[in-house]
Amino acid sequence: MSTESMMERLRRANPVTDAPAGDHGDLFTRIIALPGDHRLAESPPSRRTRPRRRIVAVAIVVGVAALLASTAFAISQLIGGDVVPPPVTQQEYLDAQKQLVLPPGASWPKLIIPEPNSVTNRGGGGGHAVITAMTAWECYWADAIRKGDEAAGQRAHDALDSLLAKHVYEAPVGASENWAPSPMPPTPFLVFAHDGGLQWKRAAYEQAAAGHPGNLIQSCRVNR
Amino acid sequence: MTNPLDGVGAEERFRSVFSYLGAVAAYARRRGNKDPDALAADVMTIAWRRLADVPVDDPRPWLFATARNLVHADARRARPAVAAPEPAATAVDPVELDPQLDAALRSLSRADREALLLVAWEDLTPSQAARSLGINPTAFRVRLLRARRRLRAKLDDASTGRRCEPKTNLDMETT
Repeated sequence: MSTESMMERLRRANPVTDAPAGDHGDLFTRIIALPGDHRLAESPPSRRTRPRRRIVAVAIVVGVAALLASTAFAISQLIGGDVVPPPVTQQEYLDAQKQLVLPPGASWPKLIIPEPNSVTNRGGGGGHAVITAMTAWECYWADAIRKGDEAAGQRAHDALDSLLAKHVYEAPVGASENWAPSPMPPTPFLVFAHDGGLQWKRAAYEQAAAGHPGNLIQSCRVNR
Repeated sequence: MTNPLDGVGAEERFRSVFSYLGAVAAYARRRGNKDPDALAADVMTIAWRRLADVPVDDPRPWLFATARNLVHADARRARPAVAAPEPAATAVDPVELDPQLDAALRSLSRADREALLLVAWEDLTPSQAARSLGINPTAFRVRLLRARRRLRAKLDDASTGRRCEPKTNLDMETT
């Protein structure tokens, strides 16, 4: 057999010869209702009015990552010590694990900060733990729904409500992405931008509790 | 390369990416994913969130790379911690192929198999397939050449009665 005829045989064996067609307008609408890529500043004005879910998360190393250690020190002095080096963030993450509960079977992933000479907003380690716990409980809930385990589903719903109530804040309108509650909470916290993202989460949980878990499942799959 | 549509708007830009939803679902189905439509929706969600990274002029390599990562992650989650020996055609491969070709494909490495399938089933050019795998086109052409030779040898062996030893299931490579 020649190589060409072998490739032709392989092409003919394609188990899905046509891309499935269909009207996916609803999916398109649901996706673009989510927060988009903030790097694209040229979104049309109408997009700005849509609800966007953008986790500001102090956990994210916004704009100041990859600074050299000396620069980090200078920056921290400059802006009042609100940024911390990786060991502090790691410790915040570990401390938060003692205050947060993961669902059965879940474990805390290692927090990897690739740049040793980077800085993170203070509280970022705790924020990372909160979003990790939220995602773990969302996935646990989605799994419970798939298995028809109502008790596990209720437990996940309660855990997520508790996280929202005790560990999640929404930044005021127009606040910067570095906004943090003042005074700094003693417990780990996560900040959502004032852009509808937090409402999207709450609505997803309410919909899941009412038997419509689509957004919950999507949130689990995309964030885990 | 990534942004020839500056000024057009994110939504319009995403619309052209979203037009490949069916192609992504087909990719997932060909790779044996249990829920290809959901996976394709996830790929599009990620594409929306990282739209600046998606090459507008040719999004398929990027979309297939993302789909590959998700297929692989799904397969890893579905795999038990201590895997019992399974027949070759289980776990991540519900697609049905000609048994001889199926056995020959399974006996290849995942890297070889994906190189062949990106070209034969996804209809990518070698340059596109190279982008999807994150390797340079020359390296891809070499990989493809070797993969074709190996597959042909396996098929020749099979037709002369020698047995192909399955190496892995049709799961994904992690390049």
